[in-house]
Amino acid sequence: MWYASRGTGVVALLLLTAVMLLGLLVTRQGRLPGLPRFAVGGLHRNLSLLAAVFVVIHVLTAVLDGYVNIPITAAVVPLASSYERFWLGLGAVSLDLMLAVIVTSLLRRHLSRRTWRAVHLLAYLSWPVAWFHSVFSSGDLRHGALFILAICCAIAVVGGVLWRLAAAARDVPRAERVGLEMSAVKKQREGTIR
Amino acid sequence: MTAVTSQEFSDPASWVPGAGELPRLLPPAGAGKQAQDLMTHLARYGRLPYRERTGTLINDLEAAGLTGRGGAAFPVHRKLAAVLAAADRRRKIPTVIANGAESEPASDKDATLLWLAPHLVLDGLQLAAEAVGAQTAILYTHADREHDVGKRLQQALRERHAVGADRVPVQLALAPPRFLAGQETALVSHLAGGPAIPTFTPPRITERGLAGAPTLVQNVETLAHLALIARRGPGWFRAVGTRHEPGSMLATVRRADGRPRITEVPLGMPLRDLLGDPQPESAVLIGGYHGTWLPAARAAALTLENRSLEPAGARVGAGIVISLPADRCGLVETANAVRYLALESAGQCGPCLNGLPRMASAFAELAGGRPRPQTRADLERWAGLVTGRGACHHPDGTARFVRSALVTFAAEADRHERGRCSATSARPFLPIPTSSARTAEDWT
Repeated sequence: MWYASRGTGVVALLLLTAVMLLGLLVTRQGRLPGLPRFAVGGLHRNLSLLAAVFVVIHVLTAVLDGYVNIPITAAVVPLASSYERFWLGLGAVSLDLMLAVIVTSLLRRHLSRRTWRAVHLLAYLSWPVAWFHSVFSSGDLRHGALFILAICCAIAVVGGVLWRLAAAARDVPRAERVGLEMSAVKKQREGTIR
Repeated sequence: MTAVTSQEFSDPASWVPGAGELPRLLPPAGAGKQAQDLMTHLARYGRLPYRERTGTLINDLEAAGLTGRGGAAFPVHRKLAAVLAAADRRRKIPTVIANGAESEPASDKDATLLWLAPHLVLDGLQLAAEAVGAQTAILYTHADREHDVGKRLQQALRERHAVGADRVPVQLALAPPRFLAGQETALVSHLAGGPAIPTFTPPRITERGLAGAPTLVQNVETLAHLALIARRGPGWFRAVGTRHEPGSMLATVRRADGRPRITEVPLGMPLRDLLGDPQPESAVLIGGYHGTWLPAARAAALTLENRSLEPAGARVGAGIVISLPADRCGLVETANAVRYLALESAGQCGPCLNGLPRMASAFAELAGGRPRPQTRADLERWAGLVTGRGACHHPDGTARFVRSALVTFAAEADRHERGRCSATSARPFLPIPTSSARTAEDWT
């Protein structure tokens, strides 16, 4: 069970990384090759639920396993475990944040867009906390192939966030978009006619 | 304008002497174009018949069958009932807004009504406020029309204040000169201090509008009719018009000379009577720039009511009827209007922001002579792609306008593909505003 916990933890990190990247893509209404635009949002949602399943297995197996003694409260209450007190605490923080994001998304229909979005932004906090938990609470990810994997995940998410910020900086104010679009279309058409 | 009574209406019990006479809202034919002051207004219509209770007017409006005159023809009593119900349920005091932001460049009826009969609109605003229990009333209009409507309204409000006619204080608000400024969610957004751009529904503004209160938005002409139904009853209202679409409406009619004529006509009036005798080769635009082009011969066989127009793909809308002179090119005129509509996109929904400029550009090619053979197919495809995919109906209306032009002017488009054009005059006919929005300030 200890191995199951460690294995599902690694898979959960990978899935959460993918969910982050897809979420970043969704905010810019981006596309994946071969997928229609709306499918990116669907993929983001489904992968996040799959990741949640892996996180749950990861936590339960760690608690139930007798190899180290982790109380069930440590799953959600930070610093409640004597084993790796701080790094497991990070895991609990990350899980709490994740739960908030998932619950508000499931209840989105009943929430205002602002409330939902404010909570959803917590994902940007949850992922790095989860990453530190992953790398430091056990030795698995600190060397070898898994270390490279963890670094790749970090680079991918940091890169994604930078791309997101750069894209936002390039945004044209709404009032100027139509004029810009009109002149762009006009130029394009003149190009094709000649 | 001859008074036309409905052949369909025949209920002697509710017959009121003189009920069939038009105009009802505008000053009578002999009175000239002078604005009616409060004394003239009271002498003609009598005092404001307050009901002293919320809701009772709603039954009368239902019996009268009054529908919104801003273009959507939504039953007025249902909107009032929805606001009243939402106010009760949510324990919030509703707000009433008179919408005089007639943004359609081809329409001039609301500005004319506000100029000539401001007190009728203000009466309707008070009665609507009473019917739903509102304590805030706002009159929202454009500033830059031919007449200084704002000044006229301020003067009217002063006159009313002097005799204590109004129970709910009325504020005046200015709309930015944008096509979408009168769309009701854009209007609420603007009055809340934001840009005049449409927002996504739900929530409907009848539930949650200005400052979160249930909000009733009615076109100014609708309120004027409401003020008369409150005085004279549903039977009187139904004495003109048809059984299904009763009453009269203000129409903006442009014949070949291009000058707008505002007339009050009964619903169900033959378009032939409105247009004079149009040349059979020409075309008629019904409903403005979100409306429909029809061949003149077809239009002449129809009547001004949705039951007659809808099978032809048109709607009464805000009562705009334009007869295109035979010496102008319908494609050129449509291209000008489509360019204007594209520039007036709020730029917030992708299909509208990307689709309308493409359609405008393609239509300009079609109008300019020697269009490529696939241009018409492109337009048809894009019209399908943008329809139903905006926060408001701007892309839908534009697509309908473009499609009707492609059908009505199909022969002319064939000619253009061969490098010819049948027009002999290049002078633009349809009224198109010259300014368009460039910065965020232009929307506030």
